[in-house]
Amino acid sequence: MAVTPVAPARPAPRVADPDRRRRRRSATSRRHLTFVLLAGPNIALILAFIYFPLASNVYYSLLDWRLGARTADVVGLANYVELFTSSRGFDVWRVTLIFTLATVVGSMVLGLLVALVLDRNLPGKTFARTAVFAPYVLSGVGVGLIWLFIFDPRIGLLGHVLRALGQSSPNWFIDPTLALVMVIVVYVWKNLGYCAVVYLAGLQSIPKDLLEAAQLDGAGPVRQLFSVKLPLLGPTVFFLSVTCILSSMQAFDILRIMTPTGNGTNTIIFEIFLQSFGAYQRAGYSAALAVVLFVVLFVVTAVQLRYVERKVHYR
Amino acid sequence: MSSNARPILTAALAAATVAVLAACGPATGSSGSADSAAEAVDFSGVEPATEITFWSNHPGGSIELEKELIAGFEEETGISVELVTAGANYEEVAQKFQTAQTSGDVGDLVVLSDATWFPAYLNGSILPLDDVLEAADVDTSTYQDTLLGDYLYEDDHYAVPYARSTPLFYYNKDHYAAAGLEDRAPETWEEAKEFSAAIATAVPAATPFGYPAEDQYPAWTMSNLVWGFGGGWSEDWDLATVSDENTVAALEFAQASVDDGWAEVASGDPATAFSSGSVSQVIASTGSLSGILDSATFEVGTGFLPGGPETSDGVVPTGGAGVAVASASEPERQLAAAMFAAYLTNAENTAFFSAGTGYLPVQKDADMSAVYAEAPQFEVAVEQLERTRSQDFARVFLPGGDLEIAKSLQAILTQDADVAGTLETLQASLQTNYDRDLKDDLETE
Repeated sequence: MAVTPVAPARPAPRVADPDRRRRRRSATSRRHLTFVLLAGPNIALILAFIYFPLASNVYYSLLDWRLGARTADVVGLANYVELFTSSRGFDVWRVTLIFTLATVVGSMVLGLLVALVLDRNLPGKTFARTAVFAPYVLSGVGVGLIWLFIFDPRIGLLGHVLRALGQSSPNWFIDPTLALVMVIVVYVWKNLGYCAVVYLAGLQSIPKDLLEAAQLDGAGPVRQLFSVKLPLLGPTVFFLSVTCILSSMQAFDILRIMTPTGNGTNTIIFEIFLQSFGAYQRAGYSAALAVVLFVVLFVVTAVQLRYVERKVHYR
Repeated sequence: MSSNARPILTAALAAATVAVLAACGPATGSSGSADSAAEAVDFSGVEPATEITFWSNHPGGSIELEKELIAGFEEETGISVELVTAGANYEEVAQKFQTAQTSGDVGDLVVLSDATWFPAYLNGSILPLDDVLEAADVDTSTYQDTLLGDYLYEDDHYAVPYARSTPLFYYNKDHYAAAGLEDRAPETWEEAKEFSAAIATAVPAATPFGYPAEDQYPAWTMSNLVWGFGGGWSEDWDLATVSDENTVAALEFAQASVDDGWAEVASGDPATAFSSGSVSQVIASTGSLSGILDSATFEVGTGFLPGGPETSDGVVPTGGAGVAVASASEPERQLAAAMFAAYLTNAENTAFFSAGTGYLPVQKDADMSAVYAEAPQFEVAVEQLERTRSQDFARVFLPGGDLEIAKSLQAILTQDADVAGTLETLQASLQTNYDRDLKDDLETE
């Protein structure tokens, strides 16, 4: 026997109430208007001063444009090709990678050690915390000038100390490898206070009962550090790694003051300066560098936010 | 919004964005960015404007001197001049001037250095001055010929000399006396080597001779050495000169001086190293003279730059800055700016400026007797003007040229790099920059 399928019964359509619909529409309009009034000025500012320059920069990166020239040639992706295929471009990436890795790892490791010391109940700890954090809020230009004096092989403090120990001072400013080491040391010194303070906040938020329990189980300070504190500092380490990578890749002031021509210290941000406003006046190529830097930073942040943040919480 | 309308709206928005971006940026063309040579202006019947702006970095800490000169000009002509600090150095002024071109809000008269005026010329941002100077009744024959000639390109002058300098040979008289040397600078580089060997023995704590580091414009002062050997950084736009046998010989001589221990690259400003007594002889700017005399605790000697085995004539490179008139200004303002440029650099005022800063007088008949009475060493700098020569194009006109030459010099002097190989690589790099950044512009003129 054939069975005729029966369609399920549909609920009867509700009869629309025109007044109710009008009231709802009016409420929606009011909400939209309020949104535009409150958020509009901010959105306009963000569009004008962030997204418009960003889009302009992408457009300029497709041009062969000398800074200040009224005309330019459209060259497509040639500027990007040059960045990724020239030996100079390769060197810029090499220096950027070394500088970023060294400063991020240096600041975070030393910052953790300093934070562990500051976390102890020592006399004068408030002063010590202030002193450690102070370099972070100093002007990079001022810091660079002070360290220029310290590293000066003729009249610098470091040179005097080395000579007192019977050693001669290396020429930090002239040897490109030493120049890179020098700016890394200064940048780590300036930023480790920031890492230390953030770590300290993380350390102080660790529940005391966990540490006491570990202590009762016989865990010494080292075991407590690796088995309790560091796992619980996961979100802090994640936060610091993101902010330190972002700031290291954009570091400029100290590099410019201590090595004015980028001798051994030509990171991508320094190259952007040199190519556009410095010696070369190549606004188009420099814009391409800036776009690539933006994409790199965007990807680093996005990857870390999406895949790393989930795994950093201790359970 | 219907689903059909959305892609159309998106495409329209994208097209509008591209249109807005293109409208805000430079005009795009198909054959080079040939803006060069701003069009000449007919100044007949043009009356000078009543106010202008002057963009300066106040070279040599000259802000008060510039204010005083402006006051004199305003009193004499009734034209008011707004002095604008457009940067801390020549490069910053040039950056601001170039980036301001898009808005058109630029200074009417601007300080541009020997290395920054040419990009402004290429962009058509500065006016050829001969017509406007003629309209302002300015006699240009009274300027020091080489200093004015530095701004000559394709039969037009694009600036007049203002804060000009040359390198000068400085020596420590105490060290010379200890080494039993005559009280005079070496006349040739071979003699400099002999003098340095004597100093090395007599004053072992000091470095006999200091070369400038990469960030101290070594390609400027070391032009003297390579010119003396018959080489150079370029011959007009022929870049082969930078790696020819004469340039190689000059830089092998320099490298040997470091290897032999009588010279080294000084960290930081060579003038500071010299005035501290740690270096016995340097070649530094005439603009450093007053600073050296103030800070040195020994008697300072100055002399002409040494000659080389090929020549001792024309081995002194000129340097410093001039003043240029913006092509974006209205003709009335351009005329007033030219009048002010002429006033700034006339015989009386260049002597006044020179006395206050240490820059060279740019007029042949400037009365410098008061300056000489106070600092006799300065007279050498002025006498040396007879031996000056305009700089090689590769250093001052080619974007990035100065820096790339400086990096090669530092590699040769501090990393014992092979001289011939380094200079060949440098030539290739300069050629790439020329072909990419200038060739089309210069060929379309």
